[in-house]
Amino acid sequence: MIQFTQIAFQLANKKFFRSPQWEQNLVIRIFIIIIIFICLASFFTFGLGLFWILKKDFPDQDPVLVINQWLVYYFSVELLMRYFLQNLPVADIQHLLLHPISKKKIVLWMLLRSVFSISNLPLLILGLPFVIAFSKSGEASGHLWVWFLGLLGISLSFNFAIFLINKSKGFAIGVFTFLVLIAGLEKQNLFPVKLFFTSAFDHLYSAGLIVFIPLGIVLVTFFATYRFLLGRIYLDQGLKTKEGFMLGQLTVFDRFGVLGFFLKNDLRLIVRNIRARQVVLMGFFFLFYGLFFFTQDVYKEMQIMHVFVGIFITGGFMITFGQYVPAWDSEYYRFLMCQNISYQKYLESKWLLMVFTVVVASVLSFPYLYFGLAIYKVILAAGCYNIGIGSLVSIYSGAYNRKPIKLNVKAKAFENTQAFNMTQLLFMLPKLFLPMLLFYLPYKFVSFNAGIIFLVVSGLLGFFFRTPILKKIEKVYQKNKYKTLASFQTQNA
Amino acid sequence: MISVTQLTKKYGSQCVLDLPSLEIPKGQCFGLVGNNGAGKTTFFSLVLDLIKASSGSITIDGISVDRNESWKKLTAAYIDESFLIGYLSAEEYFYFVGRLRQQTPEQIDQWLHQFEPFFNGEVLKQKKYLRGLSKGNQKKVGIIATLIGQPHWVLLDEPFANLDPSSQIRLKKLILELREKQDITFLISSHDLNHVTEVCDRIVLMEKGLLIKDLKAGDSTLKELADYFTN
Repeated sequence: MIQFTQIAFQLANKKFFRSPQWEQNLVIRIFIIIIIFICLASFFTFGLGLFWILKKDFPDQDPVLVINQWLVYYFSVELLMRYFLQNLPVADIQHLLLHPISKKKIVLWMLLRSVFSISNLPLLILGLPFVIAFSKSGEASGHLWVWFLGLLGISLSFNFAIFLINKSKGFAIGVFTFLVLIAGLEKQNLFPVKLFFTSAFDHLYSAGLIVFIPLGIVLVTFFATYRFLLGRIYLDQGLKTKEGFMLGQLTVFDRFGVLGFFLKNDLRLIVRNIRARQVVLMGFFFLFYGLFFFTQDVYKEMQIMHVFVGIFITGGFMITFGQYVPAWDSEYYRFLMCQNISYQKYLESKWLLMVFTVVVASVLSFPYLYFGLAIYKVILAAGCYNIGIGSLVSIYSGAYNRKPIKLNVKAKAFENTQAFNMTQLLFMLPKLFLPMLLFYLPYKFVSFNAGIIFLVVSGLLGFFFRTPILKKIEKVYQKNKYKTLASFQTQNA
Repeated sequence: MISVTQLTKKYGSQCVLDLPSLEIPKGQCFGLVGNNGAGKTTFFSLVLDLIKASSGSITIDGISVDRNESWKKLTAAYIDESFLIGYLSAEEYFYFVGRLRQQTPEQIDQWLHQFEPFFNGEVLKQKKYLRGLSKGNQKKVGIIATLIGQPHWVLLDEPFANLDPSSQIRLKKLILELREKQDITFLISSHDLNHVTEVCDRIVLMEKGLLIKDLKAGDSTLKELADYFTN
């Protein structure tokens, strides 16, 4: 076992350090590391800050008891996130099957490795600073560390359970209904589901011994998963990802000529491939980006930050999808290049898709009206900018992105930074900072409304001149054709 | 006619293809044989303008492939699985190609009838994505898709590999039939000397990027090729 674990660890190591995202130049690598560091640090300070915020807002309550009320939501969301994002190390072990290693060891290895996956980090990073700060203060009224251990146990049992539920489609819907139900029942005072969970966590905190329940659950899920996988470690069972067939006809699009034809294909691409679905999900989460900013007093008067946020709210999908524009088709790019395809129509259809999502996001962002008309105006103006200029810049930047995408494989941790290089970094300027500037100058020297108008007008200009601009972009794509083909080919093979 | 003049392809100092001149007239079924690294796929990629030649040029019906794209209307190819769109079903893929060649889905459906024996009930109406099909079935889809919309030139890289014996025989028949009836000119590369000599009029043997033999297919061709590869 020792020897096998060693070899397996070496393999995992190589896999990590030889993955394409490390093959960047030094500046970019340092940049990515800094960003990761900032993310970790901000999580950490959030955990730390959580303690002080809770103390300030609920001075006469134990912070843990306040947190307990929300834990059921936290864990539901965590479960959903795991369901969508957690990578099962299934492909990694296929090649082990034919070697003289017992299946038990292989399954054990699979489970062991999953413990060290990045999806187990959030609770640790969020919770640990809080627990440390709280225990240092010496005001805890219960078994703080035991409570935290219990939470980690629940998180870990999710980690194992995801192997069992990963194949069931209804699961996500189930969790979602559950969430809506508890919120609804809570409102109606019919059945205190939330209260039930809250008191369970409270008990964990006050009577430490209860911790054997979550820890027991960890053991149970571990062994259940172990047995489940051991019985199914065959290519056509546990190791197979089953696929349904989605979006059959879509004849609606046939009416819209060549554009409709490409759009239809893009829709299928998004719906039928794991990686694309993930990106759409990320774009969806960007809709909530504003909540981080608009709820904090610091940003209330910083209109320029509102533009920044507005660009993300309305353009989250556009930016995440757009940065991979030719790469989405990388698996069959050679085929496309041999076909009688008009590049212009191809790009135009991508553009249309992005514009469509910006419009949808702008409409869906109407709840931000709650924070005031001014904020919503900024969001809509940012949306206009995204439609007119952001979308074109996204497509243009795609011409310089030659990292292929494996469509039906989940992104690995930080793989979404793979497309990140110096050029892409430069493109962030027109995507993010130009609109801030366009707003800020007239805002500073004329008025708030002038800033809004400036943004809207620049968006409209881009919109009306899109055809000649797309033509120019098309030339760049044409020029880069061989390079793009070569890099898609070697890295996909 | 496909004509090649002074064509070379170099990676660094290594020359992987050097063809001073080659002409493939229309109607002549052209076979390309050679061991790994002979330059067969490189040659096809150059014809399809997927890689840039280091020097020289290729024209298809007088159109220089790297200057003008109108040859794409008359040319079709299947090199490997990267020519399939993995997340489409077979029909959807045929419609996709058909759309690019001015064929409606109805026309495609009708046209596909004749290939039902070739597909052997495992490809059409399966509600399965192409990435879920076996290698052989993927290849069948790719090959048939090249025939959509009456192309003049069809390039097939290793069409017989991965196919089961019945399908290999059917494919041979199909190729012979299509060149008679529809005037399609095939360019076929293959490791299978038997098959390639059976379908092709002319066999070109390459080795390390160079043209070694240019043979008119006849009774002695197979033996000549076999002799060459035995040594």
